Amino acid sequence: MASIRKLEWKVGGQQGEGIDSTGEIMTKTLFRYGYYVTTYKQFMSRIKGGHTNYKLRATEHPTRHAGDDVDILIALDEETLTVNRSELVPGAIVIMEGKDVNIAEVEDYILATFPLKAIATELGNPLAKNMIALGMTGALISLPVEEFYTFIEEQFAKKGKAVIDSNKAAVDKGYSLVQEHLKDHVKTLEAVPKNPDRLYISGNEATAFGSFMAGCRFLSAYPITPASEIMEWMSVHLPAVGGTIMQVEDEIAGITFAIGASFAGARAMTSTSGPGLSLKTEAFGLAALSETPIVIVDSQRAGPSTGLPTKHEQSDLYHMLFGTHGEIPRIVLYPSSIEDAFYVAAEAFNLAEMYQCPVFVALDLALSMNRTTTPRIDASRVVINRGKIVTPEEAQKYGEFIFKRYRFTEDGISPRALPGNPYGVHTTSSNEHGEDGYITEDPEIRTKIMQKRLGKIKTARLSRPYYVVDGDAPVMLVGVGSVRGVIEEVKARLAEEGIQVGGLFIQQLHPLPVEEIAPYLTDKTVITVENNYYGQLLNWLKIHFPIHASSHKITQYDGNPFKVGRVYHEVKELIQDVRRTQATHA
Amino acid sequence: MSVELKQPTLKDFKGDTSTWCPGCGHFSVMAGLQRALVNLGIHPHEVITVTGIGCSSKISEYTRTYGFHTIHGRALPVAQGAKMAAPEMHVIAAGGDGDGYGIGAGHFVHAVRRNIDLTYLVMDNSIYGLTKGQTSPRSQHDFVSKTTIKGNKEYPLDALSIAIANGATFVAQAFSGDVKRMTEMIEKAIQHKGFSLVNIFSPCVTYNKVNTYDYYRDHLVTIDEPLSTREEAIRVLKEHGGNVQGILFVEERDDFQKQLGIDWKMRDIENGPMDEQMIRELEKEFM
Repeated sequence: MASIRKLEWKVGGQQGEGIDSTGEIMTKTLFRYGYYVTTYKQFMSRIKGGHTNYKLRATEHPTRHAGDDVDILIALDEETLTVNRSELVPGAIVIMEGKDVNIAEVEDYILATFPLKAIATELGNPLAKNMIALGMTGALISLPVEEFYTFIEEQFAKKGKAVIDSNKAAVDKGYSLVQEHLKDHVKTLEAVPKNPDRLYISGNEATAFGSFMAGCRFLSAYPITPASEIMEWMSVHLPAVGGTIMQVEDEIAGITFAIGASFAGARAMTSTSGPGLSLKTEAFGLAALSETPIVIVDSQRAGPSTGLPTKHEQSDLYHMLFGTHGEIPRIVLYPSSIEDAFYVAAEAFNLAEMYQCPVFVALDLALSMNRTTTPRIDASRVVINRGKIVTPEEAQKYGEFIFKRYRFTEDGISPRALPGNPYGVHTTSSNEHGEDGYITEDPEIRTKIMQKRLGKIKTARLSRPYYVVDGDAPVMLVGVGSVRGVIEEVKARLAEEGIQVGGLFIQQLHPLPVEEIAPYLTDKTVITVENNYYGQLLNWLKIHFPIHASSHKITQYDGNPFKVGRVYHEVKELIQDVRRTQATHA
Repeated sequence: MSVELKQPTLKDFKGDTSTWCPGCGHFSVMAGLQRALVNLGIHPHEVITVTGIGCSSKISEYTRTYGFHTIHGRALPVAQGAKMAAPEMHVIAAGGDGDGYGIGAGHFVHAVRRNIDLTYLVMDNSIYGLTKGQTSPRSQHDFVSKTTIKGNKEYPLDALSIAIANGATFVAQAFSGDVKRMTEMIEKAIQHKGFSLVNIFSPCVTYNKVNTYDYYRDHLVTIDEPLSTREEAIRVLKEHGGNVQGILFVEERDDFQKQLGIDWKMRDIENGPMDEQMIRELEKEFM
């Protein structure tokens, strides 16, 4: 029996058929079995009907990409096979819903049809067809059936013994069907050491968790894919610590409620996606001019307008970097992994209060919605810092009838008195104002306070503003967010062929840590890999660096994340082109 | 630190120097608000005043409290957010009729039904003053302005009936030419537990030559006691073409925050390490 050390598996069917939960059970089972898992969910903007699928990649070592291939495909309808045919590896097994039991070699894969629904009905539970398919998967990789049992007992604990037993019976049936019909195709997924010190978490969950631990106690937002899970997670956990979420009437209320809560002294945030970000834009300026801290999470999806509401893209960078009229101080962060989403979100609240400005946390659909294996949280990595908030004693020392909220200071950051402080009474304003907060149109004060406001963020730094691997390579692949996973795989594949490329994953886009990353971007062939049309990341870098003429962008904006293979081929070709050009010049 | 607090006086509430036109109705509104706060023994540092944009919204600059002069139409969401974070503060939202019933109308109807404990003062002059005289959502039918040269063909927004029909728990209407009554209403509104709306006719002496002090003196009917049902309150408003002053309707019911029953501690976050024990507890969800 062949042994394997990785599995790429996919289940697909119509929306409403339980595809998502089937994928979750398979993934969590292998996660607990000791494998590193990465996932990707493909779905449409409707509740029922339409093709949906759930991709799982289980590997011995950590990865950040759900993989290009499929070893086992569970197709609950024929469309699933048609849509995903191109991903099948030679020798792949497709288990498909069909009229009769039939095993056939088709082209280079095995097509095994089973009347799954009919078999499940015979077992007395038509809903359990997905569990039969899971059992078949388990049997095909020789996974001990108990691994499923544990999960079923946990998952259906509230539904009682009858439901647990019927699901176990369905899984058993899957195992026996494989023994009966597909015995020759059974492989063994090697057991690996189990490691309890890992988490199975999505980017949205990590972002919410990090925000919560940083002391965020108020989140106001409007439901929107793919960001809603942040609000949902917070809604469960905030009340116990004296906070709450508010699902408000619109996106503008989403950000302005949070600005109000922050003004009053709470750590507050809003979460949204592109269309919501557009609506919130005027309020970026309100937070910035009034110097009120605020954290804005943008889980990006494919725009513009309604665009592809359930598809992946990284096309809001310009909006986060430049959005709103006038000129404002801002900090733009973009975690490059699900693990980092926790820390970046947590630090965003420190930066917002320390620099008294809006802080954007960019996510993208692939990063937001998919779960993966991560290490456990390192609590020591973030220390809460609320910035320059003054106590009544400190405020009293100033002895001011109107507390100078916008006091000129060396670092441009003014002490902040929170409402309720008897010695800190002041007005904060979206109108241009002087040190005392009162409206002014004096050109000198205007100039001086603009310089204070826009200059104050220069020193803002995330503790890990970027990650770099092989920074001395002549070619650098640069990406943000979920693209890090693609670049890491491409880099590894090229390394196997003796081609050395570096990887730079920028987590702080504004203010860009120019001096720190300059060594990795100057006098090199820079290739950005990004999910948008314009090459927003490359253009942003070009503003700051004399980027080499041979530099290039690899873009994709069809709604799907990159496949590793595509980027690998393109990078390889680009490198050959560069070498040829260099040879010609030499 | 324990703070020895003297009884507040009007002087404590004096903010920046006003730039309103002489004779503007807003002066009296401001005086009424400050008087109401003094009468209730509330200190400036115990008040958050959130305003939108427009002449009237400058009241947060001219009245010394924790003021937040925000953006057009957004006083209510900012004020509600502030109250959520700091329930012990008195929160006043204020602005004009364009700010609240035009660009901010979406927030208005939801603030009404949500019933967070704050007081909303709308300084209603039925005109856009700061932009120098355009028709507002409260301008009368056939009102002539720079943007309605042949007369306004829309009918004014019936904000009070909307609020009453939508479940408001305190609805009043005042006139800045009758400061005594107005001040009483503002006091009661601040004391009310829940969302309280006081629409205040506050004449714009520069741009609105129809809704003048004399107009209101001639037309306003005074209601001495709140009406007993919502239907009755709406009927009375309709009967007098909206020209009514007094507390129209009051209902005592638990406000939003009380209903949630949360022990509010949003502002209590202190510098220092994250709570490791809590992290370990929450991680279990992801294992």
